[in-house]
Amino acid sequence: MEDAIEVAELTKYYGDLLAVNHISFDVEQGEIFGFLGPNGAGKTTTIRMLTGVSTPTEGAARIMGYDIQRQPIEAKEQMGIVPDVSNVYSELSAWDNLVFTGKLYDMPRTFRESRAEELLEMFGLYDRRGEKVQGFSRGMKRRICIAMALMNRASILFLDEPTSGLDVQSVLIIRDLIRKLNQRGLTIFVTTHNIEEASQICDRVAIINHGKIAAIDTPEKLKRTVRSLQSVEVAFEATPLEALKHLKALPKVSEVVKEGDKFKLFTDDPSSVYSSIWDYAQNNRLRLITINTLGPSLEDVFVKLTGITPATADGNTDQRARGRGKGQISGREKQ
Amino acid sequence: MIRVHRSHIGRETRVAWAITVKDMRTYYTRPPSIMFGILFPFSLFLSFSIGRNIPLASQIPVLISQTLFFSSSSIGPVVIPSERANQTFDRFLTSPVSLLSILMGKTMAGIIYGAGISIIPVLVGAAFFGSTIVNLGALLACFALSSFAFSALGIMFASIPGQTPGQVMMPLNFFRIPLLFISGVYTPILELPTSMQMVALISPLTHTVELARYALGEGVFFGPLLNIAILSAYAAVFLFMGIRFHIMNQRKE
Repeated sequence: MEDAIEVAELTKYYGDLLAVNHISFDVEQGEIFGFLGPNGAGKTTTIRMLTGVSTPTEGAARIMGYDIQRQPIEAKEQMGIVPDVSNVYSELSAWDNLVFTGKLYDMPRTFRESRAEELLEMFGLYDRRGEKVQGFSRGMKRRICIAMALMNRASILFLDEPTSGLDVQSVLIIRDLIRKLNQRGLTIFVTTHNIEEASQICDRVAIINHGKIAAIDTPEKLKRTVRSLQSVEVAFEATPLEALKHLKALPKVSEVVKEGDKFKLFTDDPSSVYSSIWDYAQNNRLRLITINTLGPSLEDVFVKLTGITPATADGNTDQRARGRGKGQISGREKQ
Repeated sequence: MIRVHRSHIGRETRVAWAITVKDMRTYYTRPPSIMFGILFPFSLFLSFSIGRNIPLASQIPVLISQTLFFSSSSIGPVVIPSERANQTFDRFLTSPVSLLSILMGKTMAGIIYGAGISIIPVLVGAAFFGSTIVNLGALLACFALSSFAFSALGIMFASIPGQTPGQVMMPLNFFRIPLLFISGVYTPILELPTSMQMVALISPLTHTVELARYALGEGVFFGPLLNIAILSAYAAVFLFMGIRFHIMNQRKE
């Protein structure tokens, strides 16, 4: 079976700025493929080249075997696209947005109307089909945007930051939808800077940074590559002011990050650190509420591979701590 | 995935027409379309005509030409930057349709807008100022070719990568307004010095004014065949340049 997406040496320059640097990868049919990277890493530029919005400076991409540059019509027939901004027509109704999308794909009238009806029902918007989209919430616009991408029964769905900026309910609906669509055989290419999301939904993940792919593998295999980032998580009933300093001084602890009322101690020897924490608690008459040994998260892999440091992220705050707390990493670069 | 086995040209035409209809529904009543496409040519006409000792009937071709010129060329600069700002223009670029059809759809929206509004001065002239259409074919050619050429001009300028209509209208007006003074709009070409007559020859607006005058039975300088040839050439050149500029944008984006 041929790959759904084949990318070879894809490159994009903006003037002298190298935004995407000779990247190559394949996405298998039926896969959920995550494209993970900080802001400005080249995710959106890559998706714009794969979908025909932007012309690559060098390299090639094939969509279901069709070259996006040489056979753009055939390649575009295979795909549905949900960009990072919900690019719906605010002046048109939900119904008209879907029907117009059907017209862009030259779907026959009865076919596009029945498909629009089916999708509006699927997304819980059928009762509001006659209303102009400008009055819809951000989550509803996102759902309309995804419905528009599904109008042509594409083989591949491109999603650029699909849950960015949405409320929790909308995020859960969209993640569930991505899984269901994938179970029906749709190949999904999703860009995100939400590491937790990528870890939850993706079969494979590519980590891109500064326009280059740093790693491609399944989330679990990527985690296994950085054993040195194992950690022990601990919470005390009453946290002394000096706890952070004392925990950093424990043997075999490479780094300590405070996450809410918990401390995360990074080490390559969790059992030794576990004992040290126990001794520290006994000596200081502290009562332990939680103590867990954790493997590296995908975020840890991401930080290690991208080399993001507090200095590159924010200048004066602990990026790793902030990133771990939210499951997101932000860089400073141009998107 | 849907495969629709219909003729390629038929498919491209249907998609282009869908884009035209969507633009008509969405953008015709937007304030910038009304301001630059209707108020602007009418107010320019009034400011240059009131107080001059010229019969109003003879000014009707000027009003027709100005309206065709400004109305047709205003739709592209309203539609495309607005669509670029909310990223709906990307929807066309990711659809299985050629750039030519996308831009033809948008050009057609300008043609219908410009030609539709320019019928008003024809009707007003006939009803109130006694102007008569002596050559309907010339008038139809004037409407069809001028609205096409000027709409394509607007599309070409809309390739300037702005995200508001004003960012495109400003450079477009630097081009449009000087043309008013070299195209025999306010001073008949016969009265211009020879050097200016040569300049007038290369202005597309000259040929719109001439065709309109010819259709309404007034004297002309270059003649309708030359007018039709030059307007046709400009329509093709503006459309071609518009496509080239939009392709260049895709390379830069």
